[in-house]
Amino acid sequence: MGIFSTIISRKFKNIAGTRYERILKDYKEFFLTKEELSLPVIKSILMPVDRSTRKVPEEIYEALSACEDAEVTVVYIMSEDACELIRQTLGEKASREFRLKQEESGRALLESITPSLERLGLKVRTRMLLGNKSEDVIRLSREKDLLVIPKLYGSEITKTTSISPVVMKIVQHVSIPVIVY
Amino acid sequence: MNQAAIAIVIFLFTYGLIMSERIHRAAAALLGASLLLILNVVPWENVPDYLDLDTLLLLTGMMIIVNTARKSGLFEYIAIKTAKMARGSPIKILLLFSFVTALVSSFLDNVTTVLLLTPMLLYVTRLMELDPVPFLLAEIFASNIGGTATLIGDPPNIMIGSAAGLTFNDFLMNMAPIAFIDLLLSFVFIYLFYRSELKVSPEKEEQLGSILSRMDEKGAIKDLVLFEKSVTVIMIVVILFFIHDRLNIEPAVVAMFGASILLVWSKESPEGVFEKIEWPALFFFGGLFIVVGGLVQTGVIESIAEKMVDYVHTNGQALILITWFSAFSSAVVDNIPLTATMIPLIKAMGAFFNTYPLWWALSLGACLGGNGTAIGASANVVVIGIAEREKIRISFMDFLKVGMIIMILTVGAGAGILWIRYIGV
Repeated sequence: MGIFSTIISRKFKNIAGTRYERILKDYKEFFLTKEELSLPVIKSILMPVDRSTRKVPEEIYEALSACEDAEVTVVYIMSEDACELIRQTLGEKASREFRLKQEESGRALLESITPSLERLGLKVRTRMLLGNKSEDVIRLSREKDLLVIPKLYGSEITKTTSISPVVMKIVQHVSIPVIVY
Repeated sequence: MNQAAIAIVIFLFTYGLIMSERIHRAAAALLGASLLLILNVVPWENVPDYLDLDTLLLLTGMMIIVNTARKSGLFEYIAIKTAKMARGSPIKILLLFSFVTALVSSFLDNVTTVLLLTPMLLYVTRLMELDPVPFLLAEIFASNIGGTATLIGDPPNIMIGSAAGLTFNDFLMNMAPIAFIDLLLSFVFIYLFYRSELKVSPEKEEQLGSILSRMDEKGAIKDLVLFEKSVTVIMIVVILFFIHDRLNIEPAVVAMFGASILLVWSKESPEGVFEKIEWPALFFFGGLFIVVGGLVQTGVIESIAEKMVDYVHTNGQALILITWFSAFSSAVVDNIPLTATMIPLIKAMGAFFNTYPLWWALSLGACLGGNGTAIGASANVVVIGIAEREKIRISFMDFLKVGMIIMILTVGAGAGILWIRYIGV
């Protein structure tokens, strides 16, 4: 440290004391962080849905309307484990029936969401697959810019938590921004 | 050793200690004052004559108002609002921050002003990826120029107003127009000197405008009720300053009245507010008044004034001498001890000259001389100190080559206006 810096530092301490630190602390909450400053470019969105998704809130549509020209992939994942469990306990027929019912309700759900997204000018793709609700979402999200997921996605019928453990696992493993609704 | 020699030695010793910054300037001034009192150079019964209560109480009152108002988030609100108004344009940021700094500095002390505005200015320049140095320098100059405009803007003005019995409106009539012209001059000079560094692409400007617009100035208000009460009291205080001479009350009384009203109305804990009063600054002033009082008591000041009259024969010469002597001295030494020393000297010159224009010459030199060097004024030290903490280097020479030109320009323009007004073309 040069003589000039030493003098300035000594004088600063005499004049301002610790006032600057206090002022800076007050300002901190208004200064946006580096992450907040960079607005992510959203071109592809992954939107997993299941039976917990009764209705997508209007606020979500409003938020998605800002992502002009983005492609939304609405995906309905049927649990392969659940089908297998039914097959082992109740037999092949029950498992097939369960799967057909799942496909039917999934298709209805996808068809109900698609028009609302298209009205926003977004390109919509729908997918239905048999797999693992958390692992497949994590895998699919690797090629997407934003994940929009219901807070009770993958939860059991008796809801005991405000956010399902499946959602908790997904948000801990994806590296893209996530909107949980 | 006679009393006069002791007073001179203690005065120089105190000045040396203050300049060396080895010990706190308040401690240095108190040591000098104590030595004079122990050696009976200044008799105890004369202390009230030298302790300028007007200055001390005016400073205390304003400190209470500012510290109470600050808790409401008022000043952060002003800073965020200023940044948003600039909408990402570097020129507008330079202009608006200079103007707001000068305006706030004309009513608050310069150190508080720059402490509150510099973090915001640094944040904005960082977002713009611009060199913050021109903006920081403009802020320093604006703060010192703004402080020149009013009776309460800078401690030398408070001391001059109190010693010469000048009113708030006297300062507004004489110093505010000079400060306004000087602010424009300083802005134009900074713009011309750094114009290549004040350019950003339209895309960047738009992007910054969008980021700044996301900042919520209303979120800065921590206590809306206190915010409203603070703004109301500050407005009442400013109005009272405008009419204090017609009401026949001293500026110090206005400040203390505002402080007490705000304390009672806001129900803020007086202990908390009083803790934040800058007691070292007040003791520094108190000590200095006694140290300079030693020179008055022993007749040293009177002798210097008589000697000066041998060389200075007209009011015009006195005006020029006081302006430039205080300007160059203030660029090197603290303007508070300088003003404290010059006040009795000008008073003593009253036997030979019309002192009215000389007070303005002292105000001009003492307040604007600080722009000359990096250590010339407290605002300079604080902004450069903040810059160093944020890894922005402004060397002594970097400052000098801009500051000295600004000082000569602004003091020269001010002296010219005073000359035309009081001496004649």
